[in-house]
Amino acid sequence: MEMKEISVKDRALLDALKAAIIALDEGEAVAAAEKVIAAKVDPQLAIRYAIAEAAIMVGEKFDCGDYFLPQLVISGDLMDVVTKILEKNIPKADLQVKKIIVIGTVQADVHSIGKNLVSTMLKASGFQVVDLGVDVPSATFIEKAKDLNADMIALSSLLTTTMPYQREVIDDLASMGLRDRFKVLIGGGPVTMEYAVKIGADGYGKDAIDAVEVAKKLLAVE
Amino acid sequence: MGLTLSDILQRSKEGPILEEKQFDMSIFKKTQDLQKKYGIKYDPENPLDKTGDIADRVYQAGRELFLDIGAYSTTTRRAIKVTEKELDDELSACPKEISLGQGPDKVKMVHRSVEGPEYPVVIAGIQTTPYSDESMMYTIYRLCALERSVDGIWGGILLKIDGKYEVIAGTPSEIYQYSKTISILRRAIEAAGRPGMITISNAPTAPATIAMFDEQDGLRRSDYIESTGMSEMKVAYDDLSRTAYGLAQGIPIHGTHSSVIGGFSATPEGAAMVSVAASLQLVVVHRSVCFRCGTVDSRIKSRVSRGQLWVAGTAIQGLSRNTRLIVDGTIGDHPAAGPGTKQYLYESAAGHIVSTVMGAHSTEGTRKYVVGEICNYGTPLETRWMGEVCRASVGLDRKQAEKIIKFLLGKYENNLKDAPAGDTFENLYDQRTLQPISAYQQLYDEVKTELRQMGLNFRQ
Repeated sequence: MEMKEISVKDRALLDALKAAIIALDEGEAVAAAEKVIAAKVDPQLAIRYAIAEAAIMVGEKFDCGDYFLPQLVISGDLMDVVTKILEKNIPKADLQVKKIIVIGTVQADVHSIGKNLVSTMLKASGFQVVDLGVDVPSATFIEKAKDLNADMIALSSLLTTTMPYQREVIDDLASMGLRDRFKVLIGGGPVTMEYAVKIGADGYGKDAIDAVEVAKKLLAVE
Repeated sequence: MGLTLSDILQRSKEGPILEEKQFDMSIFKKTQDLQKKYGIKYDPENPLDKTGDIADRVYQAGRELFLDIGAYSTTTRRAIKVTEKELDDELSACPKEISLGQGPDKVKMVHRSVEGPEYPVVIAGIQTTPYSDESMMYTIYRLCALERSVDGIWGGILLKIDGKYEVIAGTPSEIYQYSKTISILRRAIEAAGRPGMITISNAPTAPATIAMFDEQDGLRRSDYIESTGMSEMKVAYDDLSRTAYGLAQGIPIHGTHSSVIGGFSATPEGAAMVSVAASLQLVVVHRSVCFRCGTVDSRIKSRVSRGQLWVAGTAIQGLSRNTRLIVDGTIGDHPAAGPGTKQYLYESAAGHIVSTVMGAHSTEGTRKYVVGEICNYGTPLETRWMGEVCRASVGLDRKQAEKIIKFLLGKYENNLKDAPAGDTFENLYDQRTLQPISAYQQLYDEVKTELRQMGLNFRQ
């Protein structure tokens, strides 16, 4: 079902759900999701419309300074809660599988601010994000990505002398014959598009918002 | 008897255990509550607190924040907490004055008061930037050391060993490279006739930082060792290993931490509280005798947006008014614009004026915020500028400072996200005479004249 096919009443329910997520009101959002189910609105449409659009709006609020990192974390958690309620009413065979991104700051680098922002924004944008933290060796990125059958590995680095670890992951993937299995996205203070091209990364995010856009493009997510 | 590093380590093993996300979100919740409790409000029309009233409330709120949630050990996943009495004892025991450097180049770093007459210690040089080769590194270091307006020089890095082998953090190449570059810095300050000048460097890992200390050919006990807190209000054992070495060897410990506007402290008000709370963390947990009280913005690659100037300026002022600690402001150290541009000089000036007037020193060097792999991305003229501005700001009151800050913000604040890249040393200095090219010198003089007309009292 598409949005244009639903009634005004059902659209109002989805708008209420979207508004509750944007307002970060868990009680209202859960109640709105339950009303959507009770009214037999297509839950897949609710995910595609209410949650996806709420994610975009939350991102815009972050971009213009109305929301900060904590609100992104809260909205990401809230979207998880609501999605689970909606997914219970979707036949297993019809469940849309989220794209999985393994993210972390590379070895010998303990900077986490930028990585946390990207991680949180990716999650709020509908990706399943596995955040490995900071000082993560190449082997850990690759093992985790293999275990989870991930779609992308995202690598952050804030130091010029830790940037080579981003290349190491790419080189290790190639050596293991896995380069084509995962998209690799890189970013961080000293990292540039030129460097991304030089080391053979698939994408470069100049900031958190850009990283989400690049990830969507690389993984063909609407 | 006060707390020791061993007490801190013990608490990092026995304190409340919690997930990092829980700690992060507790910063958000607590700062939101404290903002209401203390009635703290950032007004963009007034980028400086001119009475100290807000600064005092930010100090009290930051203190309450630190006492309530402590610092988070990412190594042990526990909160390190202290009591109010322990905090007060630590603040009382902290030195009000330390000496850095040697011989005629020795300087005293003292607690500075708001609008105080004490000269700030200025440590410049192109901080942790990549250099193309040892010869270029030596030349630029030496020229920076010749700038008499500064007291110390920061070390940089070489991306390749022998021009061939890549330097990678956490590997033996890191230890070799950092040790090598600090030895070059020592030779350069000697050649500049300032052998006792303060030299500073900081490697990504504790082993490489510790390996730089060598009285004959490296960092000395008269310099300081960095113990960096992680944003926001976190610490790892790697940081405390640097502290342990400093304590064992009698090296002053300099702490650094940045709150994050847009991070878990969220608002400028929250970030100001975290800047204070993390400063107390640096004293109590990292055992710092001097520290940088700074802030970054999650959306802007500069340290001198209007909000950042308010955050850092208010936190520094709060610490200066309410403690006798030695605070390092260093707000103007990482402009968005590159060297050789007017915007670099405007941004740098704004940060160093606020830092100096609010009661801090400036010790974190000169460097464009984003450098990447570009080598020699800075010149000694930025070092001269940092020193000249810091010294010229002594004697300004907050009202005068704000007038100049508003003038400077008008020059750059709309260009922070699309700042001019500037140029490298090779293109900004005549490679034969080793003097600034005339266009750069002229640009420098023009900005200096503008600021002199605005009331900045340059000594020369």
